[in-house]
Amino acid sequence: MSGAEEETKRVSRRHFLKGSLALPLALTVAGGLLTVPSLRRADARGFYLRPPGALAEKCFLGACIRCGKCVQACPYRAIRLAETDAGVAIGTPFIIAREEPCQLCTDLPCIKSCPSGALDKGVTEVEKVRMGTAVIIDRENCLSIRGLRCEVCYRNCPLIDRAITIEPRHNPRTGVHTIMEPVVHRDKCVGCGICEKSCVREQPVIVVQRTPLPQQDAYEF
Amino acid sequence: MALSRRDFLKASAAAAALAAATGGRLGATDVHAAEGGIRWGKAPCRFCGTGCGVLVGVKDGRIVATKGDPAAPVNKGLNCIKGYFLSKVLYGKDRLTKPLIRKGNKMVEASWDEAMDLIASKFRESIAKHGPDSVAMFGSGQWTVFEGYAAAKLFKAGIGTNNIEPNARFCMASAVTGFMTTFNSDEPMGCYDDLDLGDTYFLWGANMAECHPVLFSRLIDNRLKNPKVKIIDFGTRFTRTSQMADKYIRFNPQTDLALLNAIAHIIVRDRLYDENFIRKHVVFKKGKTNIGYGLEDKFKFADDPKPMTFDEYREFLKPYTPEYVSKLSGVPAKTIEEVARLYADKSRKVNSLWTMGFNQHVRGTWVNNLVYNVHLLTGKICKPGENPMSLTGQPSACGTAREVGTFTHRLPADMVVMNEEHRKKAAEIWGVPAEKIPAKPTYHATEMFRALDRGDIKVLWVQVTNPFQSAPNLSRYRKGARKGGDRFIIVSDIYPTRSTELADVVLPSASWVEKEGFFGNAERRGQQWFKMVEPPGEARNDLWQTMELARRLGHGNLFPYKYVEKEMFEEYRKFTLGQGKDLAPYEAYTKARGLRWPVVNGKETLWRYAEGYDPYVKAGEGVKFYKNKPNDYKAVIWARPYEPAAEAPDRQYPFWLCTGRVLEQWHTGTMTGRVPELKRAYGGAVCEIHPEDAKRLKVKHGDKVRVTSRRGSIVLTADLRGRGKAEKGNVFVAFFDENKMINELCIDAYCPISGEPDYKKCAVKLEKA
Repeated sequence: MSGAEEETKRVSRRHFLKGSLALPLALTVAGGLLTVPSLRRADARGFYLRPPGALAEKCFLGACIRCGKCVQACPYRAIRLAETDAGVAIGTPFIIAREEPCQLCTDLPCIKSCPSGALDKGVTEVEKVRMGTAVIIDRENCLSIRGLRCEVCYRNCPLIDRAITIEPRHNPRTGVHTIMEPVVHRDKCVGCGICEKSCVREQPVIVVQRTPLPQQDAYEF
Repeated sequence: MALSRRDFLKASAAAAALAAATGGRLGATDVHAAEGGIRWGKAPCRFCGTGCGVLVGVKDGRIVATKGDPAAPVNKGLNCIKGYFLSKVLYGKDRLTKPLIRKGNKMVEASWDEAMDLIASKFRESIAKHGPDSVAMFGSGQWTVFEGYAAAKLFKAGIGTNNIEPNARFCMASAVTGFMTTFNSDEPMGCYDDLDLGDTYFLWGANMAECHPVLFSRLIDNRLKNPKVKIIDFGTRFTRTSQMADKYIRFNPQTDLALLNAIAHIIVRDRLYDENFIRKHVVFKKGKTNIGYGLEDKFKFADDPKPMTFDEYREFLKPYTPEYVSKLSGVPAKTIEEVARLYADKSRKVNSLWTMGFNQHVRGTWVNNLVYNVHLLTGKICKPGENPMSLTGQPSACGTAREVGTFTHRLPADMVVMNEEHRKKAAEIWGVPAEKIPAKPTYHATEMFRALDRGDIKVLWVQVTNPFQSAPNLSRYRKGARKGGDRFIIVSDIYPTRSTELADVVLPSASWVEKEGFFGNAERRGQQWFKMVEPPGEARNDLWQTMELARRLGHGNLFPYKYVEKEMFEEYRKFTLGQGKDLAPYEAYTKARGLRWPVVNGKETLWRYAEGYDPYVKAGEGVKFYKNKPNDYKAVIWARPYEPAAEAPDRQYPFWLCTGRVLEQWHTGTMTGRVPELKRAYGGAVCEIHPEDAKRLKVKHGDKVRVTSRRGSIVLTADLRGRGKAEKGNVFVAFFDENKMINELCIDAYCPISGEPDYKKCAVKLEKA
C-alpha cells in the first residue's frame, strides 16, 4: 500500500460521504456502478460475507437498518452495500474479499458504529469474529499443494499458525522435497478473506464460505 | 497437449537418468523441445542464489510460460512463487526501451550512438583530467559471467583501475573473506546434497523458509523421512523458519560471536573435539582486535595474523563460559551446553547454514571464521552430509562476483591484484603487459559511494543493480550522486528504479533469456542458457554495452571474439584450470543442468577437499585443504573475540532495527514489483514490532509508526501479527519497497576485513505517527 497517497484518498472520500445527505441510497447506487460484475457477491448458496460481528443471516437482515454507518467506519473501504440484485438484502453491508477483505482492525470500528445491533457489540476481540470460514476449494490449482513454495495465504493470515497452519508432507514426485500444504482450522478462522484476496492464482483457490454448522457425534477425534 | 507434455517430461527424465548412469559424465540432453507451438529452453531462475532450473516457453518471440525443470537436480521441477511468475518479470509496462540522456531535469530519448558517445567522452575526459581512478563500475551478483568478466577485464586490464565492485559486497563479501582466511579458497566444500544426507542443521541468521524456499522444502523433507533430524534456528527474530524448526534460539543481536566461542569453549573444555583431525588438518591463529567499524571515510584496516598453539587457543576461549555468554546473549547456559553437545555428537552429521545474519555484520568475517572453528574442532567438515554451508542471495554472486572476481581487490579464480604472480598470470591471459593491472585495490562498495559523494570518483557506471535503494546510510549517497560538478552517472537497467532517477544517462538493458548467459549458484554449480527472445525496443545486453565502451575508448582489442560468449568463457576458463576451480568446456554447460566445479575430466565435484570426491585429493589423504599452501595445506581456527555492534540501542534510540527479505519480493523489488500477483501478495514494507513494545507505545496493528534513526526517518504500518515476529526491543523492516526505503535509516558501518555493511543492526526510535 503506498502510504501517504492512500491516506489522502481515504480521508477525502470519507469526508465526501459524511457530507452526503442521501447516504444509503448514494452508496447503493455507487456500489452498483463501481463493482465489477465478475466479482463474487453472494456465492452460489446465497452467502454474503458480512462485516465482523454480524448476527446470523436471518436475524441480521431483520436487525440491519441499512444506515451505511459501518461503511463509513471502515478505514479500508472493505464494506459496501448490496444492490438491487440482492432482493430483500438491498442496502445491507457486505464484503467482496477478493477486492478488499476485512483487515480485522483491533478496535473493530464497524461494530462500534452499528446503531442497530446487527453487528453484535459483544464481539470485542478479532479472534471472536466469525464472518465465515476459508476453504481451499480448488486443490488441484493450489500451487502449495502442487509442491511449489507459495503459501501466500498462510503467511498473510492475520491468525497465522492458528487459523491456517502448514502441514508438511513428502513430495513423492521429486523424492526430496516437501509439500507445504496450507490447512484452514475452522475453529480459529474468522473469515476475514485476506487469504482469498492474496491468492496468486487468477481464480482464488481459497475462498471464504459460510461456516458449516457443527455436527455432533460421540467421537473425540 | 497433455500427452505430449508428459512425453516431454519423460524424455527429460530419461536424459537425466542417462547422465546419472554415466557417473555424472556429460550426457547429451536436448533441452529444446517443441510442444503446442511453444519452444522450451533451459535456464536457471533469475532470482536467488539457489539456482533452480526452469524451462522457458517461447512462442512468437515472447516468453509465454515458465515451469520448474524436472531434470534440474537443484529443484526437480519445483519453484517458489517468485520463480512461478518468471514469465511476467520482463513484461512490466514500463520496460526501458530507449537510451535516455538527462537534459536539465528531463530525461530525453537518444540513440545508442549519442548515449555511448557521451559516455565515452565523459570517461575519456575524466581519465585525462583526474586519472583512471576517477571512473568506476558498480556491478552485480546478477551479472552473467560474461558481463562481469568483460567489465573486470575492461577496467583492470584496459582502463587500468581497480575501481570495480559488485553489489555482492553488500551481500556476501564476509563469506568470501571467511572462506579465504580459513581455507585460502572461496566457496563451500559442501553442496545441496548435504540437505538430504545430514541429520543436524544449525541455521544462523538465515530465514531459509522465505529466502531459499526450495532448499528449505528439501531440508524439511529430510526431517520427514528421518526422525533423527533436528533443525535448530538461531535468530534475533521469529520467522517462518523458526516456526518449522525443532528449536528456535533467540539471541541478542551481535552476540552470535560470543555464542560460537562458548560452543567452542564447551567442546574444548570437555574434550569433545576430534584430536586426530585437528592434528592433521588445523592450525591456530589470532588476528588484531578492536578493529573498528569503518564509519569514517577512507577507513583502512589490515589484519596481522599471528600463529598460536592449541593451548593458547584454549586460553583464549576460557572467558566464554556458558554462564558469561548466557548473560550477554540471553540464551540460557543450559541451552548453550546442549547445542555444543549436539555439534560435537559423534553419532550426528552436523551442518551449519547461514545467510545475511552472518554476512551483513560488522564482524562478518569473524563470525564466518567462528562457525568454521566449530566444524574444524569436531572434524565435521568435507564429508557427505556434514558441512558448513554459506547460502547466497543472488543468482551469480558466486559464479560472477566471486569466481570472476569483480571486486576491487580480486582477479579470477581466487587471485588478487596485490599479488605480483597473480597480476602476471591475469595479464598474460588477458594479453596485456603486467604493469597494466594496478597493484593496489581502491574502493570497496561503501567507500566507492563515499568517494562519489566527496567527488573523488567522477564517472560511475551502474549495471544490473540498484545501489541508490540498497546502499546503507542511503541519504548521504543519494545526495552525493546529485551533487553536480564533474559527476556523471550511468545506470543500465530494465525498468525505472530509484537508481535510474539519479542517472545522467539511462541505458535500456536486455535481461535473463533476452541474452545468452551463465550463472553460478551457491553450491558451485555453473549453469548456462541461450538467448530465447529479443529484448524489447532498443534494449541491449550489458555485455554489449561494456564492450561498446571499450571499443570507443580504444580497448576493443580486449574483446576479439566472434562467438563472444563462448570464446570469452573459454578464455576465462584458463584461469580456473589446475587451480581446483576447474570449469568444464562451454559446450558441456550447454547440455548439462549445471555442473559443480572443479569439473575434471568431465566429472563434477560434490565435496571439495574430500578423498573420493575431489580429484585434487590423492588416495590416502582423506581430507586435504590443498588450496591453503601458506598454512601447510591446513585450515585455520581463528581466535576471534566478541566485540559489540557499531551502534547499539540507547535511551534516545532504544530499538534494534534489522532489515531483510520476504518470500514474495526480491531484493529492491524492481522485477517482482512488476508482477501484480506478487504485489497483491505482499505490496509494501511494514514494521514488525513486538506486541509488548507496541502496547507501551500505544500502537495497534495497522497503525502508522514513525521509525527514526540518526540518519533517517520513515512512516510505516505497524505489523504485530505477521509472518515474522520481532523480539522485544527489536523491529524488522523489509528493504524491497521503493516507496519506503528503510536503508536510509541503516548505518554504513562495515566489517573492516570484508567491507560488508551491517544492515542488521542499528539503533532506532519509534513513535506513533
